[in-house]
Amino acid sequence: MVAAKKHIPIVKKRTKGFMRHQSDRFKCLDSAWRKPKGIDNRVRRRFKGNLAMPSIGYGSNRKTRHMMPSGHKAFLVNNVKDVELLLMHNKTYAAEIAHNVSSRKRIDIIARAKQLGVKVTNAKAKVTTEV
Amino acid sequence: MSNVSADLIWEVSRPYNSFLVQRKAGGAPRFSRDPLNLTNLHSRKYAGFVNDKAIGIVPNEKGGVQVISKKPASANKPASGVYKVTYGGNKTSRKTYKAVANQAAKNGYRPDLRPAAVARASAIRRSQRSTKPDPVKKPRGAAAKRAAADKQ
Repeated sequence: MVAAKKHIPIVKKRTKGFMRHQSDRFKCLDSAWRKPKGIDNRVRRRFKGNLAMPSIGYGSNRKTRHMMPSGHKAFLVNNVKDVELLLMHNKTYAAEIAHNVSSRKRIDIIARAKQLGVKVTNAKAKVTTEV
Repeated sequence: MSNVSADLIWEVSRPYNSFLVQRKAGGAPRFSRDPLNLTNLHSRKYAGFVNDKAIGIVPNEKGGVQVISKKPASANKPASGVYKVTYGGNKTSRKTYKAVANQAAKNGYRPDLRPAAVARASAIRRSQRSTKPDPVKKPRGAAAKRAAADKQ
């Protein structure tokens, strides 16, 4: 496995989610974000002490966007042929084995990834047995 | 020369072709499975099936690398229009790189692909080395205590 290319530190400007207005007051109101549209709405008018609204300013630096803490980006693979695409990109992309791949084929994928120096994010899934 | 220009083929096949691999996650990368593509990136420069002159490097079954290049004269006969040279696994890697670099850039074939060709040859050679087995994991926590108790 090859370490990722050197990169600037990953900064997450906000790690908390954005709650929907008044989702804390009503149990049937899901907290999934909806933009308040009311004419008098205090969240929409950004009053002090109110919920924060999502905006583009919270976005990550483009250089570190989609990056995992290791500095790789995830690339979904279904078979050995997909891993071979990452031969020249093992410093930027890491392979992530798709959920519906059997443990037999996972072993082949992991072995090939090791030869190519490609990191596999979920190498332990479905392959390790409980002792 | 082919009757159709490379630029036209690229414009037509750029949105979708059989080599293209797209993903939605991870910044939506676009890769290419084309054997004549040195970086596996879906781009005009490296798209071997488009360009009149292109180089591809694939692993040789018995070790070493095989360099494929297109003959610009036989653009209308894609099956016979490829030129294959094999550099075996016993050749030193420096000699292999030298030969690959010469093949890419000699006579002005594709000098712009020289660094990519050498890099790919190097990556393939590295992938053909035998891999070390993973080190045995030391037991930690409760498992370590159990192992210590079993020893006594």
